[in-house]
Amino acid sequence: MEFTPENKKKFDELLPRYPTKKAALLPTLWLVQDQYGFISQEAMEYVAHLLDVSPAHVYSVVTFYTMFHQKPVGKFHFQVCRTLSCALLGSETILEHLKKKLQIQENQVTKDGKFSLCTVECLASCGTGPAVMINESYYENLTPGKVDEILKGCT
Amino acid sequence: MSDITFTIDDQKVAVLQGTTVIQAAKKLGIEIPHYCYHPGLSIAGNCRMCLVEIEKMPKPVIACNAVATEGMVVRTQTAAIKKMRESVMEFLLINHPLDCPTCDQAGECRLQDYYMQYDVIPSRFEEKKVHKNKMVDMGSGVMLDEERCIACTRCIRFCQEVAKKDELTLAYRGDHVMITPFPGKKISNAYAGNVVDICPVGALTSKDFRYKKRVWLLKKTPSVCPGCSRGCAILIHHADQKVYRLMPRLNPEVNQYWMCDEGRLGYKFINENRIVRPHIQVNGQIQAVSYENAHEKLGQLIANIPWELLAVVAHAGLTTESLKAIEYFSKNVLKTKAVYFSRNEPLNPSFDDFLITVDKNPNQAEVDKLAFKPLANLEKASGLFVFCDLSEKDLTQVTRQAIPILGSWASNESAVSKRAQVVFPIPTYAEQDGHFTNVLGFEQKTTKAFAPRGEGRSVVQSLRELEGILIGTGAQLKTAARC
Amino acid sequence: MSLVLTNRIGLKDSHTLSVYEKTGGYQSIQKLFSMTPQGVIEEVKTSGLRGRGGAGFPCGLKWSFVPQNTGKPTYLCVNADESEPGTFKDRLLLEEDPHQLIEGILIASYAIQSHTAYIYIRGEFDLSYRRIEAAVKEAMTKGYLGKNIFNRGYELKVTIHRGAGAYICGEETALLESLEGKKGQPRIKPPFPAVVGLFGCPTVINNVETIAALPFIITQGAQSYRKWGTEKSPGTKLFSVSGHVARPGNYEVPLGYPLKDLIYKDCGGIPGGKKLKAVIPGGSSVPILTALEAEKVKLDYESLQEFGSMLGSGGVIVMNENVDMVWALQNLARFYAHESCGQCTPCREGTGWVDKILRRVLLTGASEKDYALLREISENMAGKTICVLADALAMPVLSYLKKFPEDFKKYLTRQNVVPQMQII
Repeated sequence: MEFTPENKKKFDELLPRYPTKKAALLPTLWLVQDQYGFISQEAMEYVAHLLDVSPAHVYSVVTFYTMFHQKPVGKFHFQVCRTLSCALLGSETILEHLKKKLQIQENQVTKDGKFSLCTVECLASCGTGPAVMINESYYENLTPGKVDEILKGCT
Repeated sequence: MSDITFTIDDQKVAVLQGTTVIQAAKKLGIEIPHYCYHPGLSIAGNCRMCLVEIEKMPKPVIACNAVATEGMVVRTQTAAIKKMRESVMEFLLINHPLDCPTCDQAGECRLQDYYMQYDVIPSRFEEKKVHKNKMVDMGSGVMLDEERCIACTRCIRFCQEVAKKDELTLAYRGDHVMITPFPGKKISNAYAGNVVDICPVGALTSKDFRYKKRVWLLKKTPSVCPGCSRGCAILIHHADQKVYRLMPRLNPEVNQYWMCDEGRLGYKFINENRIVRPHIQVNGQIQAVSYENAHEKLGQLIANIPWELLAVVAHAGLTTESLKAIEYFSKNVLKTKAVYFSRNEPLNPSFDDFLITVDKNPNQAEVDKLAFKPLANLEKASGLFVFCDLSEKDLTQVTRQAIPILGSWASNESAVSKRAQVVFPIPTYAEQDGHFTNVLGFEQKTTKAFAPRGEGRSVVQSLRELEGILIGTGAQLKTAARC
Repeated sequence: MSLVLTNRIGLKDSHTLSVYEKTGGYQSIQKLFSMTPQGVIEEVKTSGLRGRGGAGFPCGLKWSFVPQNTGKPTYLCVNADESEPGTFKDRLLLEEDPHQLIEGILIASYAIQSHTAYIYIRGEFDLSYRRIEAAVKEAMTKGYLGKNIFNRGYELKVTIHRGAGAYICGEETALLESLEGKKGQPRIKPPFPAVVGLFGCPTVINNVETIAALPFIITQGAQSYRKWGTEKSPGTKLFSVSGHVARPGNYEVPLGYPLKDLIYKDCGGIPGGKKLKAVIPGGSSVPILTALEAEKVKLDYESLQEFGSMLGSGGVIVMNENVDMVWALQNLARFYAHESCGQCTPCREGTGWVDKILRRVLLTGASEKDYALLREISENMAGKTICVLADALAMPVLSYLKKFPEDFKKYLTRQNVVPQMQII
């Protein structure tokens, strides 16, 4: 793999922000995920090479942080908050509704690759729960009805 | 550096500044149990087994990271500390498979040892254990059982800090953490075997050793690795005249806590392909004979040759005692000046800037001290006495020079022993007391782990007997003093 | 009422520089440069401002631990990794008033003589990230950041560093590890970050809300800040209220404010005519309060301590009479087990164990032995690990068991039960 020219430029801008190359690892992995939607083993080795760190180190970091994907997720990646405040307000209803609608279980992707579903821990959207993060955007105060509307807008 | 005096369990101890509580306690003979701490590695502080109480500290403190200060008061045996150790043991065992009967670590496992010392309560865990991968081939002869791993990270730190290869890591998090190389890769450093030694539990085991022998059946004898001129201090683990494994032994100046894989696996010649009886050539056939017959045959072979025309070749892998006996014998019995040496000279010898030296001979320094000449300098001789072995190059040379190998003193069969007219079995370094002087000039002792195979006799003894036969029974080999 | 942190919240385009400047923003800078760094530290000490991330450590005192003239750079790290369940105040400050934070960063950096500040922002906060990134750019353009600020020869560079999904990175040394490009595993202490912090250099880590209070303190003076709050807990604090209240949200109130008023007056009480059952006053890791306690307690460090709980991060989770406390506890246990970094034995093994026991209790009932074991596991975890994540589960377990015994008792008689509330 290789960065697109645009991402390569972004990568080059990252390095001077830190006194070590290693420190640029998280932002570099974000760039990879922006480009490919997930972080493959090949990409991990590429990043290791770019930053003079070992592939094993990159692997430990990718597996530690839950937002880094090792496999592709759907075009619309639904992340349902399941922690207490949202759970008090019925996040399980939202999750069940999504499972039924999308015909997939947690940590699965629909056959057409359009949707994927997972649960996540507290999104700091407790006052506006139940909350779901779709890709990088928050959707709050959800009801099954609102979820249906969101799904309609997913094209 | 100034001395610090403080108290552990009511005992006063004086230590150098910078000493940790765990080190000071060891000095007093107080054992503070631990898993992740290893004196040769950085401090990780994750196992929490070495928690102690220090006065004026609000919480228990890990002894591995607590630096002693003047007047500090440490307690390692309070009821609260005992309870903490018990609880750490319980935590470590909840997801552990408890498969000691089939685990190779049994007998040298800290989970077992500490369980007996600090826990000994039945499990209160009724839930499903976290299941992980078993029998993972990590490469370099290292096998991993993820379920047995306690995530102490000693192996990771070893690879990073000692082997200087950042190739192992702890992936994922929580109780799903696992030790792993990068997916699809294997451990590739030349010291990988050490991760098996330092693994405090049965997670990392040696492919070479596992399932061969229960460790409590093994005897341990201190010795020196003959694999290269570093001469790492080792322990020979053996039973019934057989070596099962070599492990490094602490020598701060030579090898610290470590040894290389090449040296570690270099024990097999002790178990295999051994010469166990004297033998002679009869019409091109090898025939086992008694010592008496062998001596007689050798006597006949040299009866009509001026002995000063004989050449003697000693190997740089022989002990100092053997080398000195050879020197004495050559000078005083044969009265020949033709004393040469041969040595292990592999084509592409391994080496690095840590322990592995390019010279694969454990006692070259002593050979140099005795001023033996390289065999390449030999122009002609009427016959050769070869002690141990010849390098391929040296053998080619003497074959080209058509110098007959009259006598061979060898522990293992080789091209030399096959050509020699008379062959005497000798012990390996594992079967005799002796010394090697390493590349740094340190003289270290090998200890007799078990009796020589078959009828083997040391070079010293063998030459002493020969001396008696050749020049009368009154003479004594002087170098025998130290044997 | 005009307070400290939230005066611009609700204004149109409150996140922009023009609105910020129009509403008194960046007014502290002239005054800041007329003070010595030591003077700034003293002013903040006088204000009594305490760390708002959860630990409540006096801010000025923390700054004073930074050694000077070490020959190494000094770093300021802003902890914007807000992840404590029930807490969403920093997100508000980041999204709606990023310039206030930047002005605060300038003050804190000047006080500790740092020329590089990192904002560690949680990976999920996309809007916050974009807002703070835009604000830093605006501030650079206007010369509030960058080289030679206000021609005073003072330079400050601000870098935003995005996390990637790990609660533990809110722990200050885990945050440093993460910033250095590693897993967020807390470091053993000593050494402390003030001496050996980011890249081995002296470092101060402050929470977003702590930093955001600084422009007010410098502009208006420490004494003005002390107008609010109590003697020992001066100033105001943001409380994030969630759960069973009519108007959940962020509320800035003076410390010492009655929790009862927050719930019933500001948040409009418990909806549906339900009764209050329990309140978590300071984020999910603090000991829980019963309804009776919630009626009496005041929101300051000391009062909450009297009730055996803590102010924590100010995440107030309100639960009505229908909530099964065993269910609530299991939800949190799962959270902490999921977020344990896996380093220390008691936390790695203990959090998962607690979760599994509680899940079994919910599904098949319990015995007294299970509860005794839960207590013991919690005691065995608390205070035995590198960081306090294990304590963050131990405290809820012990307090829920103690304060809501009836809820736990129900499971003793129920075999093969269907949980009252859905496990998620």
